[in-house]
This record gives sequence, C-alpha cells and structure tokens, in this order.
Amino acid sequence: MITYAHFPVLAVMGLFFGAFLVEIFGSRSKAVRNFIAIVTAAGAFGLIAALIKPVMLDGEVISYWMGNWEPVSGYAIGIGYEIDQLGLFFALLIVTTFLLSGFYSLRYMERDHHLGHYYTLYLMLSGSVLGLSLTGDVFNMFIMIEIMTFAAVALTAFRNESRGALEAAFKYLVVGSIGSSFTLAGIALLYAQCHTLNMAQLASILAAGLTPTTLFAFALMFTGLAVKSYIVPFHAPAADAYTTAPTSISMVFSGMVNKAGVYGMIRLVYVIFRAIDLPAMQMLLACFGTVTMFVGVTMALAQHDFKRLLAFHSISQIGYVITSAALGTGLGLTGALFHAMNHTLFKGLLFLCAGAVLYAAGTTDLDRLGGLSKRMPKTTVCFLIGAFSISGLPPFNGFVSKWIVYQSIYAKAVETHNFAYAFITIVAVIVSVMTLASFIKVTQAVFFGQLPASCAQVREVPLSMRIPMWIMSVLCVLTGVFYDFVNEHLLHPAVKAAFNATGYIDAMMGEGYAAAAGVANVEVAPVEFSYWNPILWLVLFVVMLVAVFFVILTGRNTRGRVLEETGAPADGKYATYFSGEKSMPSHVGGSDLFWGFKHDWKSYFTVMQGAHSGVVNDYALWAVFGGAVVMLFMFTFLR
Amino acid sequence: MMTFLTLLFKILVFPGFLFVTVIGLLLAGIDRKVLARMQKRVGPPIVQPVYDFFKLMGKETIIPSAANKAAFLTAPVVGLVSLVVLMLFIPVFSYSAFSGSADMIVVLYLLTIPGVALIVGGSASGSPYAGIGISREMVAMMAYELPLVMVLLSVAKKAGGDSLCFSLQDIVAWQAANGCGAFHWSLIPAALAMLLVIPAEVGTQPFDVAEAETEICEGPLIEYSGAPLAVFKLNTALKMFVMTALFTALFFGGIDTGIVALNALILVAICVVLTILCMTTVHAVTARLKVEHLFKFYWTTVAGLAAASLVLVWIGL
Repeated sequence: MITYAHFPVLAVMGLFFGAFLVEIFGSRSKAVRNFIAIVTAAGAFGLIAALIKPVMLDGEVISYWMGNWEPVSGYAIGIGYEIDQLGLFFALLIVTTFLLSGFYSLRYMERDHHLGHYYTLYLMLSGSVLGLSLTGDVFNMFIMIEIMTFAAVALTAFRNESRGALEAAFKYLVVGSIGSSFTLAGIALLYAQCHTLNMAQLASILAAGLTPTTLFAFALMFTGLAVKSYIVPFHAPAADAYTTAPTSISMVFSGMVNKAGVYGMIRLVYVIFRAIDLPAMQMLLACFGTVTMFVGVTMALAQHDFKRLLAFHSISQIGYVITSAALGTGLGLTGALFHAMNHTLFKGLLFLCAGAVLYAAGTTDLDRLGGLSKRMPKTTVCFLIGAFSISGLPPFNGFVSKWIVYQSIYAKAVETHNFAYAFITIVAVIVSVMTLASFIKVTQAVFFGQLPASCAQVREVPLSMRIPMWIMSVLCVLTGVFYDFVNEHLLHPAVKAAFNATGYIDAMMGEGYAAAAGVANVEVAPVEFSYWNPILWLVLFVVMLVAVFFVILTGRNTRGRVLEETGAPADGKYATYFSGEKSMPSHVGGSDLFWGFKHDWKSYFTVMQGAHSGVVNDYALWAVFGGAVVMLFMFTFLR
Repeated sequence: MMTFLTLLFKILVFPGFLFVTVIGLLLAGIDRKVLARMQKRVGPPIVQPVYDFFKLMGKETIIPSAANKAAFLTAPVVGLVSLVVLMLFIPVFSYSAFSGSADMIVVLYLLTIPGVALIVGGSASGSPYAGIGISREMVAMMAYELPLVMVLLSVAKKAGGDSLCFSLQDIVAWQAANGCGAFHWSLIPAALAMLLVIPAEVGTQPFDVAEAETEICEGPLIEYSGAPLAVFKLNTALKMFVMTALFTALFFGGIDTGIVALNALILVAICVVLTILCMTTVHAVTARLKVEHLFKFYWTTVAGLAAASLVLVWIGL
C-alpha cells in the first residue's frame, strides 16, 4: 500500500520521468506531448496538495529514506527526504506555479518550434526545484540546484532567435556556476568536518559550535544560495534572464526558482546552522535585504521594457522577504513567508499579463505600447489586481504581508534600540511607494492612454491563457481578505517548523537524538495580527454598497447622454481636449514618465548604470566580491 | 443588529460620510474665503463648494472616446470610499470608530489610495495632459511619503517608548496622559514637517504640480465633467479634513472633554486653524514649484525636519 510518505518522492520522480517521456514520445504528436506535460505537472500538484492534511494540519513531519537505506550506526549514509511544514510551504508555492505556467504555455508557446525540448526542460526545472524544497540531504540539494541552473539556462536561451537571449543565458550560466561552485565547496568542507550530508544530522552536530572550517563552509553555502535567490550584488543576470526567457518561464523563475534560493537560505540559517539568533547574522541578512529591495526598485523605475521592469521588481520583493526573515522573530518570519507567497502569486500574475501583452501585441517595449485596455479589458483587470497587490494597496494580499514586514522590522528596532532597523523600516516604506510608481508607469504606458496605430489590431488572449491569470487574481484577493486563515493553516505551521530544530532532527534520526546533541527549540507563540476584523469587512462592504448606490443616483442624471465612441458626433465633443487644436494621437508613457524624479536622482542613476554594465566579467566580479564580503563579515563578527 | 446599526451610523453619519463631507466642504469654503480676503477680494460665500458640488452633479458627464469607461468612472468613487474609511480609522480624541492594533500603517496606505484613484482616473481618460499630470502626481507622492513615514515613526517611538506602538488610539491615549505631542519639543520639527506634508497631500498651491491649471489644465482632471468631477472635487475637500484631523490626532490628541459632540467641535476648530495656517496662507504667498524642485524640497528640507525629530526621539529626548 502506498501511503502519503511516498508522495513527495513520487512527485519529484514523476516530473523527471515525465521529462524523459516528453523527449521520447513528444516528437510524435503535439497532443501526446502536451498531455504528458500537463498530466505529470498536475500529478505532482495533486501529490503535494495531498500532504497538506497530514503535514500542515496534523503537524506530522515526513521522513523518507531512499531505497530504505536508514542510518547505519548513527550515521545517515543514504539520501533522506524530509518534509516538514517549512519545506511543504515552499513546495506548495512551487507546484502551484509550475502547474499554472504549464497550462499557460499550451497556447502561449504554440508559435515556437521544438516544443518537445521546451516541455522536457520545463519538467526538469519543475522537478529539480520541487526536489530542492523537499530534500533532507545537502548534496542532493546541490544536485537539484545544478539541474535547476542548467535547465534554467537552456530555457533562457530557448527563444535564441530573439535579441539577447544567448547573451542572457551565458550570463546566467557564468554567475549561476559561481553560485553552484560556492555551494559545492561549502558542502565538501561540511562533509569533511561532519562526515555526513544529512541536514538533520548536520544540524545536531553543528549545534556543538562552529569551528573555523564549518564557519567557512557556512559562508560559502550562504553565498551560493544568495546567488540562487538573486539578491544584490548577484542580481544582474536575473534581470536579463527574466526578460529574454519565454514569459511562462519568467513566471517560473520569479515564482519558484528564486524562492528555492530563499528557501535554501532560510533552511541554512534557521535550521542547519541555527545562526539566526546572532545579532550580527541578522544584521548581515537585513543589510543584504535592504540593499536588494532598494536597488531593485530604483532600477525598475528606470526600465522601459515591461518584462525587464518586472524582473527588477522580483529582485526588489525578494529583498523584503530576506529583510523580514533576517529579524529572527516569529512575526518577522511570518511576514517573510507571507510575502514570499504573495510574491509568487502577484508576480506570477504580472508576468502572465506581460506574456499576454507580448502574445497579443508582439512587443513588451513600454515606449511602443498604449491604450490596450480597450483591446484587452480582461487582461487589464488582472494586471491592475496584480499591480495593486504588489504596491501593497489594501485590501490586496501585498498590503497584509508588507504590513507585517514593517511592523516586525520596527518592533525589532524598538526592542534592540538599533536605529539601523528604524532606517530599514523607512526604506521599506519608500520602496513600496516606488513600486507603486513604477506600476503606474506600466499602467499608463501599456494599458491606458492612447492606442498607437501599430496596436489597433490587437485582440484579447485566448481563454486558456486567461484562466491561469484569473486563478492568480482570485488568489491575490482571497489571501488578502482571509489572511487569518492563511496564517493559521499555512504560515504559522511553517514558522513553527523553522524554529523547531529538534522536531526536524528527531523525525529523521529518531526520537531523542536532538536532545542528546544538545539542540534546544525556540518556542514561537502563534502570531496574531488583525488590521481589521470580519465585522469591519461587513462594514466596508456596506460603504461600498452606499458608494455604488451613490454612483447609480448620479448616473441617472446622465443616462442616455453618455455616448459610446460609435455615437461620437462630429463636433468633437468626445475627442480628447487639445486646447483648441485639432486632436491628434499623442501618448505620454514609457520612458517619458517620471523625468522629474529621474532628474533629481541623476547621479545615482549614473552610478547604477555603470554598475549594470552588461559585461559578464563585471557580474562575475560582483558575485565573487559579494562572496568575499560575506566571508569577511562572518569571520569578523560570527566568531 | 444593534451593533450593525451603530456601525452603519458610524459610517454614514459620524465620523463617517456625512460628517466628513460637511466639514470637508466647509473647510474648502473657508479656505477660499480667507484666501480671497488675503488677496483683497470679496470672495465666494463659505457654502460655495456645496453649491459647486450640486451644480456639477447636475451637469452632463462626457466620456471621451479615448477613455476606458469603467476605470474612468469608478476611480473617483474608490477615492471617496477610501477617504471615508480613512476617517473611521482616525480617532477623534478619545473617541474612535474602529479599533485596530496597528492602524498607523493602514492609514498610511489608505492615504495613497485617493492619489492612486486620481492617477488611474486621469490615466484612463487617455489625454496627454493627464499623462503629464499623473506623472507629476506620482512624483509628488514619492516626495511627501518619505517625510510622512518619518513623522509617523517618530510619534510612534515617542509614544511607545520601548514597545512597539503603531496604534493611533494608543498615541492619543499617551498624549492624554503626557500632554499633547506638539508640546514635546523633540516632536516640534516633526509637527512642522507634517504641516508641510498636508498641502502636498491635498494638492494646494505651491504643491499643486499635478493639477497646475495654468499650464496643464488640471492634469488628471482635464477630461472629467459632471458627477465624476464633482466627486473628485469633493475628494480634495475631504483630504483637507482628513489630513488636518490626522495632524490633530498625532500632535493635539491629548485634548479630551469627555463629550463626543464637544470633542468634534474642538476638532473642527483645530482643523480650520490648520487649514488657514498651512494651506491658505502658504497658497496666498507662494507660486507653484516645478516638480523636480518639489521633490528636492521634500526629500531635503521637510525630510530633514522629520529626520531631526526621529533622531531626537531615538536618543531619548
């Protein structure tokens, strides 16, 4: 009998197996290929979703030894999979992302060739990221990172006829390999010191204290995973890759590939090395996070390509996640996980909207689009929901998570009397306003304003592309409104698991193992937050009703007089105002917006332009430099 | 049922829709009258904004052919709703309609919604004048958000001491016990910064870069007419009241007579004084700034004032 303990492994194996099947049988017919891809993705989704009940709700931790190779005389030799609530939380984000992306790809990718390879790589990428979040073995984690990196590189270059695709893939390859090498070096050192690769056992051995070698290994692995989550200064290749990859893959990149890096960092810092209690470690992470969110958003403001702008926002939002996770408090980690989840939802949605625009209009250049809301009204609604969510307007989900993030950072500032955290709070709020600004820019440049002649024939995207967009939009609203439910059933178990190292170790190595090694738990009280309670929602609903009533009342005055464009009379009453001149098409959008802001920040943008030179040598240098800073910092302050 | 009726009363009458509308329009009228007297004009009667509102309500609504109709018409209503909700979160001295554990950030974010509504509405109209207007509105928003955040954080730190205090009620309660915020000298720079944030948030001269009638013909509002325009004008009036009421809660929150009606009267009196002080007078003596100058002004001078307060509060003064 197959119990749910086998589900995680089956899900990962199924995806890899599906990849091979697509490669073998996919070339025969389109239907077979699509069928295999969607069935394996949906199967993985089902298997992981089935674990919500035992793991999330009943609080069980699943441990699974590959080939039933259990620890021999106290040493874990075999590969172990361990699914605790933290891992499952990220696994759920991952399966949701790739299932929707796969569904979206069916129509979105129809004009491309060699789609057999596309689905093979897509399933490899999905399987590797899912495996990364479920594995309990650091070397297995490294293997998954490698598969992930190379599948991602190949997918970045998939549309290699388009400008910059190969270049972006090359940058991704170089910087990604640097990250992988850092991780591998760290794992090798750890293995040499601790004679085990099992995360649970490593955690209990390292609880005795860090030697210089293990500290060095920590720095290396930390850097490696930081590269994978694209925090500044490792972010540059991500912007290129997200822009040139097919949009269904950009969504996967921002929804789960960089989440994999974040998951790795949280696992590393919270569970394996348990270094999050150290103020210096918190400061290091918080600084990385703050710089990431600020650089990401300012660079996004300067972009004039829809997808590239979204790419920089992905970087910026990961900054929020890292900063909040850096605090080492229950509230902070709740905010981090909530924001990670919301980022998966709204950024996935926004990438899908960008894909819809690319599919329909053939370009994502903000200077060449405009007025698409008349042609693609449904996409516009989805986009606005995504944009308001990422800008953190109530009542969308981004507001709740940002609200927890600010609150946790400022609480940290007040508790530790550290002005740096107060400063970080201010930066976080300002970054949020700038996020809003750059999405206003996209709204104006793409969806509102005037329709250029080149876009006159644009049509709404097909239904199978809109369904994933609607699912994401609805989830954005639901998680914002029922945040209590999300917190109770998804976030709190995951947060508790991150602080519960003994549970993690005992589930893998046997009861009492952690206590023998001297690992103690950190108790996390359930985080309760309410910015308004259900009764206020009822009230808000009434206010909305009143407002609608108000509109109906005023609307009565104009009934019959509001004419549509077809009925526009010759006197130009319904034409746009042009101070008496003849009305002509003119659109303010794209790079023209916010010149006042850019003017004031000229020197900053000049420096940033220099830093984002586009030369892969520079980026590699930045990555190595970042690694050196981490090592220096750790050897100075963590000893 | 009773609680529901009470809530309905709170939303529709006090301190909700009716109260905010009446006082907001009154403030707008006083602003115009006093401005006229300062410029040696007779000026309109104080109820003129009310007349204007009803006149516009009866006018034809023209939707330009380039516009996105749904966004064009819903934007003003969304702004209005958020302003009414905002007022429910701001305590009238000891009285407050909603109680939340951390309503300061809710207020901060709700404050951005009227601006966003103006931007989305203007953007949806398809006019190039509106395009320029929304760009300026957004830059202005980025400009005043920095000092506003710092002001809120300094007051929160002063009131909370060593514990986190993001609740406006707690801030008001702290002021009732320890004297009004404006009488603590370390908060005076923050109060000054807040006084400068108010006109930018409301969009009065010299910070009316977004609407700038004389150069870009009211920017985002250029294509609006009839009822939606009336609602946008009402929003501006409401913003005057909401912002001054927020200032009162942050810096004069300690006044409490125990009678809600009297408290409301005191609030209105303070709001009138603040309106004349930071909007009318400034309007009368200055000319409009350029958008890049506005940004620089807020990120240097005003943010500097707020930062001074923040640092003073943090070192325990």
